[in-house]
Amino acid sequence: MYKENSLKNYQEFWNKTGQPYAFLLPALFVFVFVVLSPVIMSLILSFYKFTGFDAHIFKEFIGFENFKILFRDKYFWISFKNTFYFVASSITIQILLSLVLAITIFFGRFKNSISIRTIIFFPAVLAPVSISLAWRRILEQDGLFNQILGIDYSWLASPMLAIWVVIFVSIWQWTGYNLVIFYAGLQTVDRTILEAADVDGASWWGKIIKIVIPSLKPTIILNIILNLIGSFRVFDIVYVLTRGGPVHQSEVFTTIMYYYSFSANGPNKMGVGSSIAFIMFAIMIVFGFIRIRLMKREEI
Amino acid sequence: MAINNIFKNKSQNTEAEYGINRKKDVGFYIYSRILIILTIIIILVPILYIFSLSLRTKETVYQDFLFLIPKQVTFQNYIDAFEYASTRLNVSFFEMFRNSVIATFSSIFIAITIAALASFSFSNYKFKGKEFTFTVIIASFVIPAQVLLIPLFFILRNAGLINTYLAVIIPYVGFLIPIATLILRSFFEQIPKEIKESATIDGASDLRTFFQIVLPLSKPAIASCVILLFLETWNEFIFALVFLQNPKFQTIPVAIAKIAGGKYIVPIGTYGAAIMITIIPVLIIFIIFQRWFIAGMTMGAVKG
Repeated sequence: MYKENSLKNYQEFWNKTGQPYAFLLPALFVFVFVVLSPVIMSLILSFYKFTGFDAHIFKEFIGFENFKILFRDKYFWISFKNTFYFVASSITIQILLSLVLAITIFFGRFKNSISIRTIIFFPAVLAPVSISLAWRRILEQDGLFNQILGIDYSWLASPMLAIWVVIFVSIWQWTGYNLVIFYAGLQTVDRTILEAADVDGASWWGKIIKIVIPSLKPTIILNIILNLIGSFRVFDIVYVLTRGGPVHQSEVFTTIMYYYSFSANGPNKMGVGSSIAFIMFAIMIVFGFIRIRLMKREEI
Repeated sequence: MAINNIFKNKSQNTEAEYGINRKKDVGFYIYSRILIILTIIIILVPILYIFSLSLRTKETVYQDFLFLIPKQVTFQNYIDAFEYASTRLNVSFFEMFRNSVIATFSSIFIAITIAALASFSFSNYKFKGKEFTFTVIIASFVIPAQVLLIPLFFILRNAGLINTYLAVIIPYVGFLIPIATLILRSFFEQIPKEIKESATIDGASDLRTFFQIVLPLSKPAIASCVILLFLETWNEFIFALVFLQNPKFQTIPVAIAKIAGGKYIVPIGTYGAAIMITIIPVLIIFIIFQRWFIAGMTMGAVKG
């Protein structure tokens, strides 16, 4: 009797307390070994000097030397500036563009609204590599772009414009993605309010500014966060379109990190690469805190 | 915003949407048509142009640059592209596809299995540290994957896994789990408690409830999840670039990116054909499953 009871208790303990953790175990295992420990390792490695050929990478501790090398490198500052341009354009131009398109399609009473959205969305499913290869051909000196404009300009070889061309291709690919999210948000806008505004004779512009945009606020924030995360880590498009060139002028964080650590004609200084990873990680943490602060302020 | 909204889109097509009155709002009507037609042209022309290049003969590739329809159609470029891949890139298109399929589908399968178990735990139980664990797992989504590149390179190299499929499957599983958990947890939570409870009363263990009740009911969420994860892995570039240096193991994006390297001069038609070979399969899958694509890709986003 007593024994039976304890067995029952054990069974109950397992059901209530053991099982939830047991189901979580594989996920936690992967998280700890594939995400958490490499992140910590990466942060520590930014204080060491090592190359890709070393067997023991934790041998030569050099303090902040990697960061010093980085801060003295003018191309690092160019990559900093370019990453900023990339993030800023994707959370302003791209958001604005997709918002305008979403509102236009939503209010425009298009017969085949679904097909329109699907077409504009389509580039988002393609590999950035394929898209970049396609645009490389189009932007070539004898490519379609110059043919249409009737000029002869090497867009991707321009130190000034290369990064903006890359940003343009990125916006071309991802606007449809933001659009579809905005459209899902528009479908939740309360129509009775819009209809009431119609009775009052409100203009389109007034309705969009006063009713639609405010009720889309959570969707706008969502899109901004997504674009921030996505554009901050952009690599493929830059790598394929310009390789960070000409002369490192279109470098972003990830490409200069690749250059320092893995590139065949780079310096093979993985410690410096790790310190770039450190900086990227730190910036993302700062963004995270800003986001939490903003969320808290909204609640008050 | 509930996930349901996205699924509802399917049936909402016919429902009259709130919008302009064609006769009254002539200005908006004209503006909207012009804007949308322009956008569609900007989206479609680059792809159609590359497609058109891939069908042109060597003689016409520089002629009629502005015309999308080639004067002479040839499939020679596709044959050349296959030839080019095997001889110059050291990996045939068949091998690239095989590599991509293996890397992508193993990662998706493992990630969804693990994420589904975790989501079941999150949605079915109350336990200490639940929300904290969930937040930590989800927060790893924000970390730029490149931060893991250098340490994982050494970990995998010391384990002798560089240039094997596992070299990319392991990191992919790591990135996919947070996304899948985010989607599946919220879906599992929408399954009415009564259904699960009735199974428990009938004597089914929790694991059995999971396999026989929760998973079958979650088919739509899992399908969307698969599509979202498919795009994340199928198109992934930097990890495959660094961890798969042996051409025989390279996935499509890594192998094909080399045609832009400039080591060998690729004829324009072949170049176009090579790009189209990577686009066409995705295009076909996209056309068949287009609604699932949009649902899948927005779902991960909307929940966040």
